[in-house]
Amino acid sequence: MNILSVKVNRAGGGKFQSRKRGNKTKDLNITSLIDILTILLVFMIKNISMDSTQKNAPEGMLLPTVVTTNDLIESGKAVYLKIYPDKILYGTESMEVGSVQDFLNRADIRNSLLRLLQMEARAITSSNSKPCLLIQADKDLPCLYITEFIKFSAQASFANIYFSAIHTDDKDEVLGL
Amino acid sequence: MAYGPSKNRSRSQNETREPNLIPIMNLFIVIIPMLMTIMVTVHLAMIEITLPTESAGGGGADEAQEQSEEEIPKVITLALLPDRFEIMVEGIEKIITIPQLSVGTYDYFTLDENISRLKKSNENQGTVELLPDPSVKFDTLLRSIDICKSNNFPNIKYLTSATKFYKAK
Repeated sequence: MNILSVKVNRAGGGKFQSRKRGNKTKDLNITSLIDILTILLVFMIKNISMDSTQKNAPEGMLLPTVVTTNDLIESGKAVYLKIYPDKILYGTESMEVGSVQDFLNRADIRNSLLRLLQMEARAITSSNSKPCLLIQADKDLPCLYITEFIKFSAQASFANIYFSAIHTDDKDEVLGL
Repeated sequence: MAYGPSKNRSRSQNETREPNLIPIMNLFIVIIPMLMTIMVTVHLAMIEITLPTESAGGGGADEAQEQSEEEIPKVITLALLPDRFEIMVEGIEKIITIPQLSVGTYDYFTLDENISRLKKSNENQGTVELLPDPSVKFDTLLRSIDICKSNNFPNIKYLTSATKFYKAK
């Protein structure tokens, strides 16, 4: 039977005295951590994509899933339009221009958005590029709004219109199987 | 009289010196979060649509006569309705109707089969005209476009109704 015994040294006035083990502190072995981080680093560098068209999905938006994908036309420059069920965000800076109901009902909202799109189209055309509109819409949004946006963007000289979706290689996912 | 090597010297030669990994650690701690933030988590796809164009009209009648009827591609229209899909092929009276499997669940599988069959019978046609009902969801629209595109119909013509809800100034 092992008995843990503690020898009490009360020579120093009844207080406990700890044995000095020297000033040298034991170094933390971080070699294994470095190994893991090196693997992570290599993995991430391999998977990183610098393709400007492969942006992350807009925050809080559920995009539909598709198998096929198209490339942006040659010398095309895309303008982003994010359509949420409750708001519309314009451009890469995600400037809020109002809600989808406002877009249908309020003339001032439509006019300001039309001016923005026309200005953008003019700027893109002047730089010898073709204006493209990339619509990122929530999957539950009714087509009524999509149709109106397509009509609207055609008025603002955007002839090339693209829809954004999440790419998958599994066709059964698209077919709902 | 020669003295032997000191004990301390021989000890330091036997011990391997550990490399100073702290600068590497600092670098990693910066690089890894940076890569994680710019890493593409989901691959986005772009689906191109074509806007309807006004027919030029006039002219070309002689050219059209020169072409045999089989060479002229038949217009294929896919209507997305709240409860079904309808496929209309130019010159064929019978409309292909694909009802929903249950309320809110479209039969994409049958649509895929029908579009694939239409492609086999109209190999020179590469365009599908799409007419979505205003109440149909964007998800249904995009899945239908995707099914058409995956069956070698690269051009999707988005038809819009003539009704306008506003008039831009």
